[in-house]
Amino acid sequence: MWHRLFDFVSSLKLTIICLVASIVLVFAGTLAQVNFGIHEVQQRYFQSLFVWWPAVSQGLRIPVFPGGHLLGGVLLVNLITAHVRRFRWTWRKFGIQLTHAGLIVMLAGGLFTDLFAVESFMRLTPGETKNYSEDSRNMELAVIDESDKELDQVTAIPDGLLRRGGTIEHGSLPFRIIVRHFYQNSQLQPLEKAGPKAGPAATEGVGSRLAVSEIPRATAENDRDLECAVIEIAPIPTGSEVTAESLGTWLVSDQLGAPQTFQYAGKTWRVEMRAARYYKPYSLTLRKFTHERIAGTEIPKNFASRVALIDPDRKEDRDVLIYMNHPLRYRGETFYQSGFEKDDTATILQVVHNPSFVAPYIACIIVGAGLLFQFLYHFAEFSRKRNTVPAP
Amino acid sequence: MRKNLYTTDARREHGIDFVRSHRTLFYSGLFLLCALFSGCKDKDEIKVYRVSKAEPESAAPGVSPAESPGTGGMPPMSAPVESGATAGQTSQLTGNPPSNWEVQPLSSMRQASYLVKGDNGAMADISLVTLAGAAGGVLDNINRWLTQLGQPAITAEQLAQMAQHVTSPLGDVTVVDLEGLPQGADAAKDGRIVGGIASSDAGTIFFKMRGNAALAEAQKEAFKQWIATVKLTEAPAGAAPAAPPAPAAPVAAAPPMADAEKPRIKWEVPEDWKTVAPTSMRYASFAVAGQNNETADISVSVFGGDGGGDLGNVNRWRSQIGLEAVGDAELKPLIVPVTCKDGEILTVDMTGPKAHILAGWARVDGQSWFFKLIAPDQLAVAEKAGFAKFLQSVQFHP
Repeated sequence: MWHRLFDFVSSLKLTIICLVASIVLVFAGTLAQVNFGIHEVQQRYFQSLFVWWPAVSQGLRIPVFPGGHLLGGVLLVNLITAHVRRFRWTWRKFGIQLTHAGLIVMLAGGLFTDLFAVESFMRLTPGETKNYSEDSRNMELAVIDESDKELDQVTAIPDGLLRRGGTIEHGSLPFRIIVRHFYQNSQLQPLEKAGPKAGPAATEGVGSRLAVSEIPRATAENDRDLECAVIEIAPIPTGSEVTAESLGTWLVSDQLGAPQTFQYAGKTWRVEMRAARYYKPYSLTLRKFTHERIAGTEIPKNFASRVALIDPDRKEDRDVLIYMNHPLRYRGETFYQSGFEKDDTATILQVVHNPSFVAPYIACIIVGAGLLFQFLYHFAEFSRKRNTVPAP
Repeated sequence: MRKNLYTTDARREHGIDFVRSHRTLFYSGLFLLCALFSGCKDKDEIKVYRVSKAEPESAAPGVSPAESPGTGGMPPMSAPVESGATAGQTSQLTGNPPSNWEVQPLSSMRQASYLVKGDNGAMADISLVTLAGAAGGVLDNINRWLTQLGQPAITAEQLAQMAQHVTSPLGDVTVVDLEGLPQGADAAKDGRIVGGIASSDAGTIFFKMRGNAALAEAQKEAFKQWIATVKLTEAPAGAAPAAPPAPAAPVAAAPPMADAEKPRIKWEVPEDWKTVAPTSMRYASFAVAGQNNETADISVSVFGGDGGGDLGNVNRWRSQIGLEAVGDAELKPLIVPVTCKDGEILTVDMTGPKAHILAGWARVDGQSWFFKLIAPDQLAVAEKAGFAKFLQSVQFHP
């Protein structure tokens, strides 16, 4: 049985099946971008083991097609086992073996990048200091205990949990959060402008004066959904008590201008929906943003950010210039000059944490060395044969 | 042609033999791969962490790392400063700056901060910072300044040749004049550092002027004269934080951060209010010192839209001073309108067990402006008239 399994896993047939499935997946994913946008499609089709139907549901979900991670993983195993199966040590095949080893490194590197790389952004206005970057595509509900004089305790609930609905309980929270509604893309309006049929989105906070309506998802590459949710704060039932009195419902959205607070168990709690944050043990201060244009045009010639890097733990305090093709690499993260806001009022740095960023470089070197060796070997063999052919 | 040693079956057997002989390795590899899939990060995991309420350590605008910690064994940024603008201190550094130096808001590091302007947009930033202990030594700090200007480090012998000395009440001050334009820097604002380092009982004192090379050269003598006047003096108990002295006349304040995107607004600040660097959430910040080291914190913030609504904000303020939330009906009697220069600001005056809040807000051009004073009750009462005058002086469309 193991022989047959090994034969199948290392077979060319499986390679063809995976490649054909990949073509179908890319085609279906491309079509799906019309409805979901590129980022959602990347997650649903390519950064998953399976493509599920329906995509989001608390109930039964059926895997309808292998996802990008599964196909990539199987291809990787297929390549490794085929390599193992057909491997034999001869100089004649050495270049081919090396080339395939390079492909394995490249495939594995791609998979690792997909699994472990984190991309975020840091927006800085001149003079502003931040010690966190933000994920513009993923939101979080931050529930903040403000009772301590020096430290805020933040419980960050990813938007994925809100999207699923239901009740959220966590050891750091003395209450439960019941997700009453989740709007993937929403429009908020003052109640008086929303029409006679509209009702308040929530009973407490600013949501009691706003109406919320669901709108079609943003699918353009540079657009994003304006997520919002209506959450209810309620005590955790204890003992025989089944229902406890709720504190009311709140509307949470990053479109709201100010955070909202409530009192519970003698403490002040703040709730806010915001871009997911990645805190760092160091901070960056934007000293100066430079945006040069080609003379007489609005075409960017160069844009650069001069930032002060301060890391109390490592006693780092230095100025760094970040510009095109000259990122700042620090503590496993890379800061690229990504963009700027209108009238150069803020710089936007892309922050990439990718533990396997060297894999493509290593893979290219190995593949290049393999191809070069194979060419030179055959070239030498050809020359030798040509020299040994007797003259007619 | 080389003879193929293996038939198809033999190749297969070879491969299978290889697997058999390396079975543990093979299965371990597969297991590892599966574990990778199953154990990869859970994007929907709830995270709990603690963050400081204070802003992260920030570099003072235009200030160099030499004023703050860095390599070379300098103390951490939070090291206690014997003299400086920290609460409870008993001594302060004072000096006589030239009249053409503009006083700038102080940061957590700076005990004096000035800006001097020249022709064609040239400017130089002048600062005074004290750090405890040796703070890394003179040579290391001067080499750090050189690094900031993109210049190579120097040796102790080279330093001895280039250093000048100024005698001040603090003792001997080593003064250096360094030139160099770092990559990407603006020549109108950078290119030269004239710096002085002195060791005193208060710690290591850094005087620094960094800016346009020609302007720094022109201001060099004035800078040295200023250094010669700086001395350590006893601060009266409960006095407002140290140097530089606040301008005598009420200031028609421009926005504290030069930012073209920021809305234009003007106001007049009472004499006893001191401008402090705003945090990222604030448009402007002021402080007033009272008796017994009490301080009133005055903030101006601006948010898009209605900024959370009147009731939400008033109840948030009430919770900050230990008062119960109120409803819509109870809110209305609390609100008193105040007429400002081009509009109306709604105000509340609330005293709670924790503190006293005077607050005002106005909605202008789709934005909500919030003005808030929070202080111990006695100080807030004393500042109430000043706060009201401040609100009356606000002009949203100057």
